[in-house]
Amino acid sequence: MIEIKNLSVRYGDFYALNHITLDIPRGTWTCLVGPNGAGKTTFLKTLLGNKAYDGSITIDGLEVYKNLRNVAFVPQRPEIPAGMDVTEYVMLGRARLDGWGRESRTSRRLVQQILEQMQLSGMRHQLVTQLSGGEMQRVLIARALVQEPELMILDEPTSALDLHHQISTLNHIEGMQKSGVTIVSTMHDITLGAMYAERIVIMQGGKVLLDGPANDVIHSAQLKSAFDDAITIHTLDNGRPVIVANKSAAIL
Amino acid sequence: MKNQEIDRIWHWRTTVFVGFLLAIVLLLGVSFGPISLDFMKILRTLFGLSGGLQDEEKILFLQLRLPRVLLAALVGAALATSGAVYQTVFRNPLADPYLLGAAAGAGLGATLALTGGTKSFYAALPLFAFLGGVLAVAATFIISGKAFADPATLLLSGIAIGSFATAVQTYLQQRNSAVLRPVYSWILGQLTVADWNVVKWASVYIVLALFILIRMSRLLDGLLLSDEEAFSLGISPNKVRIIAIGAATLATATAVSASGLIGFVGIVVPHLVRGLTKRATNRALFTVALSGAAFLVLADLGARTLLSPAELPIGVITAIVGAPFLLFVLRAKRVLK
Repeated sequence: MIEIKNLSVRYGDFYALNHITLDIPRGTWTCLVGPNGAGKTTFLKTLLGNKAYDGSITIDGLEVYKNLRNVAFVPQRPEIPAGMDVTEYVMLGRARLDGWGRESRTSRRLVQQILEQMQLSGMRHQLVTQLSGGEMQRVLIARALVQEPELMILDEPTSALDLHHQISTLNHIEGMQKSGVTIVSTMHDITLGAMYAERIVIMQGGKVLLDGPANDVIHSAQLKSAFDDAITIHTLDNGRPVIVANKSAAIL
Repeated sequence: MKNQEIDRIWHWRTTVFVGFLLAIVLLLGVSFGPISLDFMKILRTLFGLSGGLQDEEKILFLQLRLPRVLLAALVGAALATSGAVYQTVFRNPLADPYLLGAAAGAGLGATLALTGGTKSFYAALPLFAFLGGVLAVAATFIISGKAFADPATLLLSGIAIGSFATAVQTYLQQRNSAVLRPVYSWILGQLTVADWNVVKWASVYIVLALFILIRMSRLLDGLLLSDEEAFSLGISPNKVRIIAIGAATLATATAVSASGLIGFVGIVVPHLVRGLTKRATNRALFTVALSGAAFLVLADLGARTLLSPAELPIGVITAIVGAPFLLFVLRAKRVLK
């Protein structure tokens, strides 16, 4: 259970996050949406604990800055180390469990297994610097999976992926969630977000505008206003909502 | 496919093999020179058995060869390890141990000692060089704004401090042209001054610094990732960074003050180890230290014997041998991929 109370992050006089209070139950998938600059990425990094904040964020009662919980982080723009191959890179995900610089036999089996699941076995000796954007994204997810975290924070996990890999990646994350892992992600594709996350939080200007079950939020007036009324929500025959940008409004 | 597992990231066999190589190189180092010493006699002397070296040979071995070879090994290990650490901390394959102004600061310190005029100043050269190096790195940290500045800011501050120290050094040299030659030969690096005194104080700092670095080497891999990723894997990147830079600077400043500026070891050795083992992990740091020691002992052997009885500056050897070898490894790595 994650409890966020009166959370603020300031850069000088500018509030990147402005007094946010939010509860995130264990084993749920929460998706943050909102325009660029709404504070989504700042929120994720603060939730991770590696950012100074006012207020409190606790996971099962422990403040996150103490870094005591096993939390996986999938960044949107990772630092890609030179000279490291896919296996070595994914193995880093076991560092917290095995101790840095060690790898147990269990870990080596698990890494092998996850590499296969993520269709990465073929490129396990390839250098991470030589991967395409989509391949790197899958490697990042693989590293998060081998970390066996209790909370997984993902910043735009599908932005570099083609349609096929978007779905397969989200299915892997959903699998994690089903096994009890709490998921918090941002996703610029709200349609996809609503398909997987049970809960959507709309952010704007560092504040939480609305927070609730995916379906309710998608059809709310706040979603439209967060995007300056520049979006339209259609409903497919099977009842799934689809969010598209308006061409005329987008010119503004 | 069941029960399959991937290979270990690092094999201790590699480390043991390099340790064995170092032992052989050390033996070669003490054996060859203008006067060759017999291998077996050397070993007998070392283990205190009868039939060892006698008279002049024994003095040559114990008072000249051994301290010199040991100093070369210490300095080589210090420079190679610091180089590998700087490359990791700054996420930059071109980083070398002299990057944060340690070299320029030490150079300025040495020049001050030499231009001080009196003989006592000259004797204080290592101390001046050491202080100069440490002060330059401290200044780099101070002008970069805060202790936890990002790597790029720190790097640029290091360049600024380095340029400033070099400029002052050049000014002093121009005013005291008599010291140009000794300063120049010091800059090219030398192990000719090696005696047990130098070995003793250098080994204290270098062994301490290497101990810290090798102890924490496993955590250093985290610095290859972004700070958030490292944090999520359970480390505090800023703490690791500060300790690593501190220890690497101590090793570098000691090496520089003991033997002048020996270039290229800090870049060529880490890349050789990474290239040959095809691993980027800092678990290799102990192996890098052993390789650096072996590399510099060999280079010193070349410096002593190639133009015997005259001596080449050791920096010339490290560059002449190191550069083509490094290129070869980098190319091979690309082809093998």
